[in-house]
Amino acid sequence: MNATFRIDASDPRPIWRQIEESVRNLVASGALPPSASVPSVRELARGLAVNPATVAKAYQRLADAGVLAVRRGDGTFVAAAPPAITGEQRGERLRTEALRYASFAATLGASLEEAAAALAATWRDLARPPGDREDEAGPARKGGPT
Amino acid sequence: MSLTAVSVSTIAGSISPKVPAAAFTNAHAGAAAASPGAAARIAAWPLAAEAITVRYGRRNAVDGVSLSLPEGAVYALLGRNGAGKSSLVRCLLGQQRATAGRALLFGRDAWRHRATLMAQVGVVPEQPDAPPGVTARQLARLCRPLYPCWDGSGFEARLRRFDVPADRPFGRLSKGQQGHVALALALAPHPRLLILDDPTLGLDAVARRAFFEELIGDLADRGTTVLLTTHDLAAVERIADRAGILAGGRLLLDEEIERLKQRFRHIWLPSPTPGADAALDALSPRGRVRRNWRVETLVENFDEERFQAFQASPSGAGAEASPLTLEEIFVALTGEGSRQLAPGAEGDPR
Repeated sequence: MNATFRIDASDPRPIWRQIEESVRNLVASGALPPSASVPSVRELARGLAVNPATVAKAYQRLADAGVLAVRRGDGTFVAAAPPAITGEQRGERLRTEALRYASFAATLGASLEEAAAALAATWRDLARPPGDREDEAGPARKGGPT
Repeated sequence: MSLTAVSVSTIAGSISPKVPAAAFTNAHAGAAAASPGAAARIAAWPLAAEAITVRYGRRNAVDGVSLSLPEGAVYALLGRNGAGKSSLVRCLLGQQRATAGRALLFGRDAWRHRATLMAQVGVVPEQPDAPPGVTARQLARLCRPLYPCWDGSGFEARLRRFDVPADRPFGRLSKGQQGHVALALALAPHPRLLILDDPTLGLDAVARRAFFEELIGDLADRGTTVLLTTHDLAAVERIADRAGILAGGRLLLDEEIERLKQRFRHIWLPSPTPGADAALDALSPRGRVRRNWRVETLVENFDEERFQAFQASPSGAGAEASPLTLEEIFVALTGEGSRQLAPGAEGDPR
């Protein structure tokens, strides 16, 4: 997987859901293009240091939803035509993560302008080529604990 | 399950038939008692403790503990030092006879059938111990005849991945390397059940990570059932699917970690109003209420709807609910001040 994601213990969502949503986001954003190979359950479980059953549950749900396709003996791939997330789902997810960031910025006493400027700077940094960045965090997760 | 790399569908297939949480919460008091058939099924699970009590003099080190692990479970047994973990683990390994109750492995009494049962169980002890002059490779040769099957090439491959020299005497290996040798020895006979007693104690972060990666690989390949005691709660949170917390020899809780994390919340109130405490009571808080610069309380059975109603009330304005990590839940339940968490206890204003 070109883009990485992290598991956050302070996130109230179960780990399998964090994995499921991160993969969905990577597919929706095009970071994982149609028919791209995704890591095996074993590989991703080791990489994230989580129980393989947790990764398998996320993959199973993604396969059921038509996002991933399992080819027996061959591995797991992004579906040839993965379902696009609706504008509504996309907006909902952005709002959820924005709430986390906004609450965090507010506890620091940051103004809207300051918070927005920090977001814009991070955004530009992520657009730079890898190796040139300060932070390797994927585009899926921003902000801090509330 | 096949020993080679497992495809997603096989893994997923082995998970779905997993026993639903309700079926093995207090299995012995609830589901098992309800039907003799269910009791027999649970008794044949890889591991079951049936009302185990261990008494030393007049003190109960373990006090009527029942728990059971279905096939493929990864169970973390947590507790502070002296909570009774070691005594319980010794009973489960057939090394110690319970004062009352019994330990069953694959449905057979661990104390009476220790020799035969141990051939199916991989153990990583708290302090890996071996004669200091014996190398890892020689240890494998010593252990091999004790088991019906022995994966010698898997053992060597693990040592290579761990970067442990197979021909260096055990006494000259680092603590991390000794722990890695213990895991490689425990996995070589392809055990159906692994019992890991604080296996990463004293290991540095890199050695710990390597240890858990190897364990995760085995879980993926063989769906091994695991009982793990540890103080590494961050690892437990990711790897275990269920946790039991021992305190004073009793099992405080025995629950799926996902559910545990769903029901605990810290509630923060930025500027307490005179009616805030009474309003908070509507959320049935368990635990301390601090009145420093804000009110903080712990809710054990968080309900989103009730919390939203509280937020909408005048005293709940600005209230925030934040989830707890497993470590925070553990500290809240077993740390100082945890007595106030006993059911029925009042919040203690400070």
